[in-house]
Amino acid sequence: MMLDADQKELARGAREFLKEACPPEVVRAAWEGDALEPLRHALVEMGFYALVIPPEYGGLGLGGLEATLLLEECGQSALPLPLLESLVAAAGIARHGTAEQKDRWLAPIAAGEARATIQVDGWGAVVGAEQADVLVVATHGDELHVVPAAGFHAAPVPVFDRSRHVSRVTFTLGDDTRMDEGPEPARDLRNHAAALSAAVLLGISDALLDRTVQYVGTRQQFGRPVGSFQAIKHRLADAHLLLRTLRPAVWAAAQITDAADPDATLTASVAKARASEAAALTNEHALQSHGGIGFTWENDLHYWLKRGKALEQSYGSARWHRARIADELFSRSNAKEFAAS
Amino acid sequence: MTTAIDDDEEFRKEVRGWLSENVPRGPLPPIFTVEGIDAHRAWERALNDAGYAAMHWPAEYGGGGASLLTQAVFQEEYQLASAPERLNRLGLGLIGPTLIEFGTEQQKQRLLPRILDCDELWCQGFSEPEAGSDLAAIRARARREGDELVIDGQKIWTSLSIFADWMFALVRTGELGEGHRGLTFVLIPMSSPGIEVRPIRQLHGDPGFAEVFLTDVRVPVANVVGEIGDGWTVAMATLGYERGTGLGDHVRFTRKVWDLVQLAHRTDQADDTLVRDQVAARYVDSQVFKHFMKNVISRLENGEQLGHEASLVKLFWSEMDARIFETALNILGPDAELDPTPHLDASARFHRNYWHARASKIFAGTSEIQRNIISERLLGLPKERRWT
Repeated sequence: MMLDADQKELARGAREFLKEACPPEVVRAAWEGDALEPLRHALVEMGFYALVIPPEYGGLGLGGLEATLLLEECGQSALPLPLLESLVAAAGIARHGTAEQKDRWLAPIAAGEARATIQVDGWGAVVGAEQADVLVVATHGDELHVVPAAGFHAAPVPVFDRSRHVSRVTFTLGDDTRMDEGPEPARDLRNHAAALSAAVLLGISDALLDRTVQYVGTRQQFGRPVGSFQAIKHRLADAHLLLRTLRPAVWAAAQITDAADPDATLTASVAKARASEAAALTNEHALQSHGGIGFTWENDLHYWLKRGKALEQSYGSARWHRARIADELFSRSNAKEFAAS
Repeated sequence: MTTAIDDDEEFRKEVRGWLSENVPRGPLPPIFTVEGIDAHRAWERALNDAGYAAMHWPAEYGGGGASLLTQAVFQEEYQLASAPERLNRLGLGLIGPTLIEFGTEQQKQRLLPRILDCDELWCQGFSEPEAGSDLAAIRARARREGDELVIDGQKIWTSLSIFADWMFALVRTGELGEGHRGLTFVLIPMSSPGIEVRPIRQLHGDPGFAEVFLTDVRVPVANVVGEIGDGWTVAMATLGYERGTGLGDHVRFTRKVWDLVQLAHRTDQADDTLVRDQVAARYVDSQVFKHFMKNVISRLENGEQLGHEASLVKLFWSEMDARIFETALNILGPDAELDPTPHLDASARFHRNYWHARASKIFAGTSEIQRNIISERLLGLPKERRWT
């Protein structure tokens, strides 16, 4: 599996756009509380919010793989906007919404007129909920609902990443908010959130590693670059190994659209479990290799460190996904069935 | 269930059919015994007669001429069928491709057919007591006398050399201080006067390892592969074939994870949270490896070179393999030291394979050497200052 020319172009275009539109100064400004409307408007203009919405609703009609390419770049630039959540919500409504729900929400989301976010983790923390017009909820009981602003209340809570606006959310669910029946839609949304958040984590971790490689190549101690010491090199080699081998697993997970596929859950959980593991290791090695300078508010490093730490635990931690994988594996009885997967 | 590689379905069916009819029932005797060599040689000939001996070699040299995808399909089916360990791995996997790329026509005509039908077995003479990870420190000397090279030195860790007909070796034709310059890649008949093989027993008890002492061993200059003094280039290509193998291997690792699931069931630990977490972690490893290797195959098929990424592949699978076995030990607990291992098929030779997995992190470039390559060649970090 590899990218075609259009997909490579999408990734390249997104990277160049975000380098311009979202350099570290913009992230820093977001931390200081600057309005993000101009940045969000630019993303809308680029069609980012319309990416996975079908063309009949004014979207670009692209799939999960393209979403991961875009989101990896968003991670690279530590984008201080909840685009991940909007893409998962839009894909969820497009795949599992009633005709009425699709008609009501998809075109406005694509046009940037409605803000969408998701709640899949259970305890009620939602990114971007305060400003959201619509919330897609996967419940503990594996129901999937789409809740308009009138049906939920968001109370902001302080978190360590100041550009990640998190609220505790309470909502009312009913027959009018319900999406497609059965447990598969909710499972599908969780899987998709896992796959796409893995893509963001990959971008964040790559940015951490890139910055660290650059730093240790120039920082001199004992008369040589600290990056020439094996103690540093081997840390970064391990991070590189985890990150370079992760991407194809993320792509595989993002392309699953059939929630009834018995491997859907396994593939999604493999991607997010490994993304969280790789992110944790890279996070550790990045700060450690920077030494004291990395532990300052002034150094940009902490935007990625903190976003990464938050996402490691969101949409299922490595531990949560491994428990889910184990549930699948230990319920299978046939070696053939297993080995073929 | 989707299999890893969905192409070549016709070929997959054919191979699966052939293997199900021809794979010997039960394990063959171990390779390091005379009976084992005979049994494995017979199996290799059956493979060759069916045209499966060297899927990765070009058809003009008697290989399968298969695309990487087809090779991966073959390897997946081979492992799913639990077919025997390949006997002439070094011949088929390392020297064969090296000769095809760098050999003279005469070398190819003479040597390749006998690798295919397993008439001649090969061993590898790179490592020396003073040249392990630092391969360029090779001391075995070769001086030229007319049309011959005269070789003196010592090689070590030469698997299968007791049974081998040939050794491909790196020897120093230049000066000792020249490092990787001044090395020559040469093919040495193991029947040459002046060769003495002393077996070394391995940590897990198997013989198979040996030291090879070379005293005034004469080989024709025509046995040099590539140019005299340019052996490093050839050897690096050879090691590239070694580190790059792994097509279809995910099947083997996924099966081992399945064995962990079974082991947990049999030891009544299927509900143990920590056991479940560790087994799932090993599954994550095996699946990430599967997706990565699929991607590698696509890129190679598209004309890209693997290059130093081969170090990622080797580091990944060797560390993963060892972790899988460590997890098995953790599940076995106090039963882990018992031999044969309870709850497992005795023919699985669990302890032997556990220790062998530890060896994987040492042979073909230790994990530390792979991390050096990854950090210097892939990440571009500065080289460490040499100790002088």
